[in-house]
Amino acid sequence: MNNTTGFAGLLPVAVFLAVALVIAVLARRQAASETSGRGGFISEYFLGNRTLGPFVLAMTTIATYGSVSSFVGGPGQAWSIGWGWVYMATVQVTALFLLYGILGKKMALVSRRLGSVTVIDVIRERYQSNALAVLSALIMVLFFATTMIAQFVGGAKLFEAVTGYSYVMGLAIFGITCILFTTIGGFRGVAFTDALCGIAMIVGIVVLAGGILSAGGGYGHIMDTIAANHPQMMEPLSGGNMPIGLYFTQWLLVGVFTFCLPQSVVRTMSYKDTKSLHSAMIWGTVICGAMMIGVTSLGVLCAGILPGELADYGGSVDNIIPTAIVQSLPPWLAGVAIIGPIAASISTVSSLLIASSSAIIKDLWLHHAEVTGKQPAEKAVVRSSQVITLVIGAVVFALSVVPPDVIWKINMFAFGGLETAFCWVLVGGLFWKRATATGALLSMGGGTLAYCVTMALGFKIAGLHQITIGITVALVLMVIGSLVTKPTDQKALAAFFPRE
Amino acid sequence: MLTYKQKHEQANREAGATVVALAITIVVWVVCGFGLSGLDITLFHTPLWVIGGTIGTWVCSIVVVVVLARRFFVGFDLDEKPQNPDAVGEVVHE
Repeated sequence: MNNTTGFAGLLPVAVFLAVALVIAVLARRQAASETSGRGGFISEYFLGNRTLGPFVLAMTTIATYGSVSSFVGGPGQAWSIGWGWVYMATVQVTALFLLYGILGKKMALVSRRLGSVTVIDVIRERYQSNALAVLSALIMVLFFATTMIAQFVGGAKLFEAVTGYSYVMGLAIFGITCILFTTIGGFRGVAFTDALCGIAMIVGIVVLAGGILSAGGGYGHIMDTIAANHPQMMEPLSGGNMPIGLYFTQWLLVGVFTFCLPQSVVRTMSYKDTKSLHSAMIWGTVICGAMMIGVTSLGVLCAGILPGELADYGGSVDNIIPTAIVQSLPPWLAGVAIIGPIAASISTVSSLLIASSSAIIKDLWLHHAEVTGKQPAEKAVVRSSQVITLVIGAVVFALSVVPPDVIWKINMFAFGGLETAFCWVLVGGLFWKRATATGALLSMGGGTLAYCVTMALGFKIAGLHQITIGITVALVLMVIGSLVTKPTDQKALAAFFPRE
Repeated sequence: MLTYKQKHEQANREAGATVVALAITIVVWVVCGFGLSGLDITLFHTPLWVIGGTIGTWVCSIVVVVVLARRFFVGFDLDEKPQNPDAVGEVVHE
């Protein structure tokens, strides 16, 4: 275990995970005492009975949005590119206020009126289409699984690099804990542990900042070193490494269109009252900006303490932050610092896990049971919900044992796919009365297909990321498909576009 | 008291205001980042465009969000009373 923290680095992580598990158990107990008469098990397990206050709402949204790539891959790129990457990461300050401002109240109003528990519930009711609901569930589970694998891999690689224990051991420790606390705690447990994870991320950033600044001889010295050795890192275009097209597509990918990511949208159905939403919007923007700008800036500052070439650090930008942690902090503090990225990893996984489980249980199984008139007993629903959550987690865990490379690229692929699939279906559904099921089906299916095919072929237009193709195709198909088909029945639209 | 329809109309107005807030943030991001990058000015060893494009944009987004939440967004009851579902909720100015 040369140049790693060993047991001293493992201990803080173990304590953190134990606390997360305890919180999930407490959340389950609290939920059990409140569930009777307040919407039943499904509403509680998959939506926390719409009880989130401002702090937990803001933190769970940030923790779901901020992933391990925000802590590892992004800062690693910033180490290579310079301040241009931080400038680009700044677009994420819009993520929370766009989500809450555009969809926050519409989703809350509609889902309460319809008694909807999931985003797909709302889509099904709006478009009166089971085919669209099934397609939504499949796309969601597919892209969520991809993202979850990337999160597990990122967290386990970091764990291995910092502590010196094996990749599989790291994966086992926090992967199993994450799956367990999600299975036990449900949405409420996930939201509470997300809040804990959000705090852990901030602590991790602060600790690592202290280590880097101390190891580099202070901020001024680090900046002067970078300016002298890598002057292009001080330019927005980074000597050609940051083309304008990249800025444009990142605005779309991690800025503008993040408001329609279903794992974030479900949070707009879960808050207590409008006051909570307004406060969460303000505090969420403050915290999200500080976190994203802060952690990416640390990547640039790493250039002051890691002056070698990429090959010197294993040939991957994903190794930069783990190396900086090990080199700049004493072992026990390094253990505290890695809690940040591990928290980012497990908070994203837990949110996606519960959303995937809800897609299968609520949107597919229970809906089918309702249609066929064979409603399962409450006990069976409880057991099945937890078993499905556990099984999805186990499958993702198993797939993560053989790790793919470059986490942030996998993450961005899934981000783009989900945005393409859900953007116009949600926007059209909530704001355009003329949007129809055919338009929505074409938009979701055609847009996602165009996105995946162009990604697979590496085909780009004007060098722009394939999100531009996917989102444009999805928009065109939504408009054409809706206008050439009969408008949706007025009765079905009453909850979405009330007349009186 | 807002009816269900009025709540939706208010939510639509808030969504529109949010898009305007996004546009303002984008303009500030461009002006304070790319716009300042031609100036050879550093503050605390940091190029001015970095401070403007990152911290400046962040501060701007906080300001627009506070304005949105305090001036444009209206508080109301999200739940409905069973007897008269279209006439519920009380406006709360925060």
